Amino acid sequence: MNKAVTTTSLALALSAALAVAAIPMTAHAAEKDKCFGVALKGKNDCKAGAGTSCAGTSKVDYQSNAWSMVPKGTCEQTTSPTSPTGFGQLQEFKAKSA
Amino acid sequence: MSDHDDFAATLLSDTGDCPPGLRAWNGSDPAQRFAVYRNNVTVSLIDALADTYPVTQAMLGEEFFRAMARLYVRAEPPRSPVLAWYGDSFPDFVQGFPPASGLPYLADLARLEMRYVQAYHAADASALPMADLAGLLADANALAHVRFSLHPALETVRSRYAVVSLWIAHQGQTPANSLGEINLDLGEAALLIRQGLEVEIVRIEAGAAQFIDCLRSGASFADAVHSAAPFDLSNALALLIRGGAITHFTLQE
Repeated sequence: MNKAVTTTSLALALSAALAVAAIPMTAHAAEKDKCFGVALKGKNDCKAGAGTSCAGTSKVDYQSNAWSMVPKGTCEQTTSPTSPTGFGQLQEFKAKSA
Repeated sequence: MSDHDDFAATLLSDTGDCPPGLRAWNGSDPAQRFAVYRNNVTVSLIDALADTYPVTQAMLGEEFFRAMARLYVRAEPPRSPVLAWYGDSFPDFVQGFPPASGLPYLADLARLEMRYVQAYHAADASALPMADLAGLLADANALAHVRFSLHPALETVRSRYAVVSLWIAHQGQTPANSLGEINLDLGEAALLIRQGLEVEIVRIEAGAAQFIDCLRSGASFADAVHSAAPFDLSNALALLIRGGAITHFTLQE
């Protein structure tokens, strides 16, 4: 238990937190790309739960209008058999016929 | 019981005869049609649970999951028309489900999945400007007694098991590759925080999760810190401030 917490330490912690929070966010969300054409069937990343129309609804593997969040820069290196370039793309694309 | 109640009760049971008074437009057997409808209702509710609990299903396999979900649907029919909320008591059901007792982490994993959906659909709220928070630094005594209001989409998870790692491993394309590296007996805690339209799951210290839970239940700043296990307070505050999670505060009169 933190019985030794003093009012001063609370103020110091808040002050430090405000200083840190003022620096622009570099969390993983900011470093991800929306990548089309790399999600496997039913595994696309739109997770809104039951009764919504988008959670896990891609019906075919590598569906070209379904996207996943992937580490930044890796999208166009991820293999996608439906993509004309052979890799995932940062925009929706028209699937080539298999 | 009214005809409507009677119909609803039979619809959500495994057995029971077709409610009296039903007629098919073309004179076919209403009992058979009712059985089809009843099956569709049941399956749609099981599908709803599978949508909300994809990782739980992945850990159990579809067959086990659906069999368990069917029993849950019978025991706990929907009480709200909002299908996204259906299954909020499923984690408790899982916890007390003897055939799943060999996977003691499963209930907490399911809790994480439900909280994810709750965070996704929670109301919007504006973050307090940082300048307002900075204003609190002027009076350290008042700061200790301040009560913070947190964003409605904020959720925490605390578990004796590594359910956060488990969940994260299942977000990859090939969960099997990383599952073997997880030590399930290492407890974990996480903060679920919505950024725009996306829910982020951030691993935090157990003490930080306790602190946040205390704030949410209305404790003062100092009391919330006191009642939590040791944790890095400035880290936890920075995470909340940066995520826009502090929406309001009240000073003690």
